[in-house]
Amino acid sequence: MLIEARGLAKTYRLGQVDVQALRGVDVDVGAGEYIAITGPSGSGKSTLMHILGCLDTPSTGSYRLDGEDVGSLSGKRLAHVRNRKVGFVFQTFNLMPRLTVEENVALPLKYRGGVPRGERRARALALLERLGLGDRIGHRPDELSGGERQRVAIARALVGTPAILMADEPTGNLDSRAGAEVLATFAELHAAGHTIVLVTHDPGVAGRAQRVIQMSDGRVV
Amino acid sequence: MNLLESLLTGLDEARRHWGQTVLSLLGLVLGTGSIVTVLALFGGQTAITEQFLSEVGGRGTIIVYDRESSARPRARELASKRLTFRDAQYLRDRATTLTAVSPGWSEELPYRAGDVSFDGEVVGTVPDYMVINDITPMIGRYLSDLDVRHQARVAVLGWKYADSLFGRAGDALGQIVSLGGKSYTVVGVLEREEFYFAAWEDNALEYRNERAYIPISTAIAQHSATDRLDFLTLKARPSAGGAAAQAQVKSLLYARHGVEDFDIRMSGQGAGDDSGQFLLLFNFIFLVVGIVSLVTGGIVIANILLASVVERVREFGTRMALGATAGAIFAQVLAEVLVVTIMGGLLGLGLGAALTGVVAHFMQMPAVVSPFIATVSLTTALTVGLVAGLFPALRASRLAPVEALRYA
Ligand SMILES: Nc1ncnc2c1ncn2[C@@H]1O[C@H](COP(=O)(O)OP(=O)(O)OP(=O)(O)O)[C@@H](O)[C@H]1O
Ligand SMILES: [Mg+2]
Repeated sequence: MLIEARGLAKTYRLGQVDVQALRGVDVDVGAGEYIAITGPSGSGKSTLMHILGCLDTPSTGSYRLDGEDVGSLSGKRLAHVRNRKVGFVFQTFNLMPRLTVEENVALPLKYRGGVPRGERRARALALLERLGLGDRIGHRPDELSGGERQRVAIARALVGTPAILMADEPTGNLDSRAGAEVLATFAELHAAGHTIVLVTHDPGVAGRAQRVIQMSDGRVV
Repeated sequence: MNLLESLLTGLDEARRHWGQTVLSLLGLVLGTGSIVTVLALFGGQTAITEQFLSEVGGRGTIIVYDRESSARPRARELASKRLTFRDAQYLRDRATTLTAVSPGWSEELPYRAGDVSFDGEVVGTVPDYMVINDITPMIGRYLSDLDVRHQARVAVLGWKYADSLFGRAGDALGQIVSLGGKSYTVVGVLEREEFYFAAWEDNALEYRNERAYIPISTAIAQHSATDRLDFLTLKARPSAGGAAAQAQVKSLLYARHGVEDFDIRMSGQGAGDDSGQFLLLFNFIFLVVGIVSLVTGGIVIANILLASVVERVREFGTRMALGATAGAIFAQVLAEVLVVTIMGGLLGLGLGAALTGVVAHFMQMPAVVSPFIATVSLTTALTVGLVAGLFPALRASRLAPVEALRYA
């Protein structure tokens, strides 16, 4: 199993009130799977995704990612795991507005260290070609359409050859045509052997996945 | 990502949002500029005071004045003989810190020569006075020991009075002048003395051109009912220093008088006070502007450029999601701040130099931006930047990735 999560719970403290965003969630993801997490707003999809992507830590529960017990790692080691094991795609793309498309895509390799500039470039260019953005490498994000931006973000998530690609509402800010393009990209990546977990509340999007995890009120149902 | 690359990322960021960078520099530029100007003007002022001091006989000249007696003097004060010729002799014998002692008497007396007449200062003194105060005759000679011993009726005239009394200063030599109704032979005329603290100031040495010097013995015999002196002019031994000499003179005189009926002052103290006061105000304004600008500049840097801007914090969140460590974020932010500060400091230095030039030109006073001033102001700017940058850098690097991503 690539992902083995047991009894994940997350409690936020808001003043006097405890908000239980997750109430004990078990998740298993095997290599090469394409999984959609769905559920109503506030059901804890993003919270779960952030924990699985090592952007957040659970209040209780255990989490093994690619054989490594992530719960016991230091901040620095976690950054390392994020850099090597996880490729994260955001609803709002989160590209660096002042960097070119190519620089954006190469950024994770910069944080990895030890990858020579020429190789960083080459890997970024290869991915951009593959995602049909070969003619956009010198552009800034604000010169691209929403669909193009999200594909740049996917390229950035993939450049470090992560074990798993995670996306929180990747089509949430796109019109249907651009959304379809992005979903087609995910389908291609899945076909090429990538492991994908995405969050959506759109049944149409969820329907493209191999398996759907349905969430409600902090639990898997 | 290693340290160098984080720093380079920081540099790159500073370069890429250039407009913001320049804006955030403004406070820093103004602050540094003001401080440079203050220091330069202050340096110029110090230099000119130093120059004045050397003009009037150099550092280490001490003047003891007879103090006005109080309205209702006490017994001790009445018992004191006040400042006398004997005090001069006493100091000459006992004050080890002094190289010269010159007793002085001074009175406003009527001057007359031919049909020119006016009231002016007459100073009774001894030859040492000339040495202490760096006085040079233009023609003729200064007073001699012989003049003092024989109560000679001779006078040395300041340039302006010689000029007013006899039409031309050079014509005064050998002429007779009446001072306080007594006739004196003019044996010397002094050089004209001039010193300007600033273009708008009067000649600070004009009082030396408006005087006559006569032997102290003559002054007391002819024009005084008592043997009281008005002042003593003393020269401190260079190895002893002015402050030590001043202290010794004070304790010696106090022991003799039993009361402090005298004032001691270093020569040149209060020199250029008027222009100094003006400059002080000027410097004060600049200094306040400088400090306020620097502080504002620091806050602006801490704020606008860095961690409180939502967009920036989310950006840090994204970088963390991509694998940036806390250290990498810290280094990036600090590098950005440092670049901005160094640039701001350099621009401020340029502004300060320009401002100094303008002020120095219009006020006709010496002021230069020395390497020392440049170093001090750049260091100040850098310190402000570091202090301002450290907090946001720490804050940014301590954020958890989700917090940074969700930051609103
Ligand atoms: N930082 C936080 N502090 C307090 N409560 C939080 C925080 N983040 C999430 N929550 C709460 O946790 C619950 C789950 O939130 P989460 O964002 O995981 O929902 P979601 O399923 O992603 O919803 P959506 O479809 O609207 O994105 C919600 O009730 C939310 O208000
Ligand atoms: Mg969500």
